[in-house]
Amino acid sequence: MKTYMPWLGLLSRLVLGGVLLAAGLLKYQHLDKSQMAVRAYEMLPISVANFIGIVLPFAEIGMGLLLILGAATRISAALSALLMVIFVIGISQAWARGLSIDCGCFGGGGQVEPGTASYLPELLRDAGLAALGIYLFRFPQSKFALDKSPQSPNLEKGI
Amino acid sequence: MNAKSQPGKDNFTRNLVIGVVLGVVLIMLVPTVISKQTKTSAKIPANVSAERGYGIVFNGDLKGVPVLDLYEDFQCPSCARFEGTQGQYLESLIADKKATVVFHTLSFIGTESIIAANAGACSADEGKFLALHKLLYQTQPQENSGAWTTEALIAAGGSVGIKSKAYKDCVTNGTYADWVTNVQASAAKADVNSTPTVFINGKQLDRNAYYDPALFAAAVERG
Repeated sequence: MKTYMPWLGLLSRLVLGGVLLAAGLLKYQHLDKSQMAVRAYEMLPISVANFIGIVLPFAEIGMGLLLILGAATRISAALSALLMVIFVIGISQAWARGLSIDCGCFGGGGQVEPGTASYLPELLRDAGLAALGIYLFRFPQSKFALDKSPQSPNLEKGI
Repeated sequence: MNAKSQPGKDNFTRNLVIGVVLGVVLIMLVPTVISKQTKTSAKIPANVSAERGYGIVFNGDLKGVPVLDLYEDFQCPSCARFEGTQGQYLESLIADKKATVVFHTLSFIGTESIIAANAGACSADEGKFLALHKLLYQTQPQENSGAWTTEALIAAGGSVGIKSKAYKDCVTNGTYADWVTNVQASAAKADVNSTPTVFINGKQLDRNAYYDPALFAAAVERG
């Protein structure tokens, strides 16, 4: 455990948590659009996609808040990383199949005019966020977290 | 604040926070899921059938003509473009009894879409849906700019000749708000992922034909 790692943990928590919280809140304001975005990936049966379109924003808000607060960091980070991997798979398959969709990552979503879809930036962003989640899963100790640091109680005295 | 001397306190705060976050998320999620369900008790405007996805139907009783299902949102700019390109043709199809046309007024863009769709339903009761439909697209403001208030929609009704108190009350009270939810829910089931979306006899029309009068007419005639 290097001394800078808790700070790196804090940064990862705030970035990953902040992105999830923002994405969740933006989707929450337009749930019909969120359902549309999930359907447009054409991966799931319609009824399942519609259900996920409603549940996903809430899950993102919950995970985002927990990460920002540093409560249940390890499991929140693991779930976030898993979610990001699912997003990467979803976007990749849309790209590979030549679908023209908006990723709907921060609200919006659904079909777009052919040729205007952009997938690479979304893929890179989600892969980066997945890496942050994996890092936090491996090293959950971080500054200003509600979680205690069971593996190194002496290092984290006071916070 | 040594972690060893007060382990209970720290854990308590942490667990409380986790509990509150999960609790609040769940408490908000459940009513939201329920609110998106089709409401079978919804008050339904004139010429609407639940079997046709709660759309507003024209020439519903004709046999052997193509059935056009149009999914649009009054706030969607592409829908205004579609109405500008195909509106007159659609009206002629309805007037000449050449097709059954079903308007699904969606509401996913924002609250102004909801009150506009409600006003559309109110105008259907007055037999003026097509006129209001056209006017709203011709005067479409920026999405969610706040321009479409109940007063503005009552005034819009007035300018297509709807002067009744019933229309005014209907727009003010949001009489068909539950119906608007049902239209949106049925579009979700029909896998409509953008607006406008056109189905001809249940088959989704190719996007190239939307803004091309010749292609569109050909597709309708093919059925």
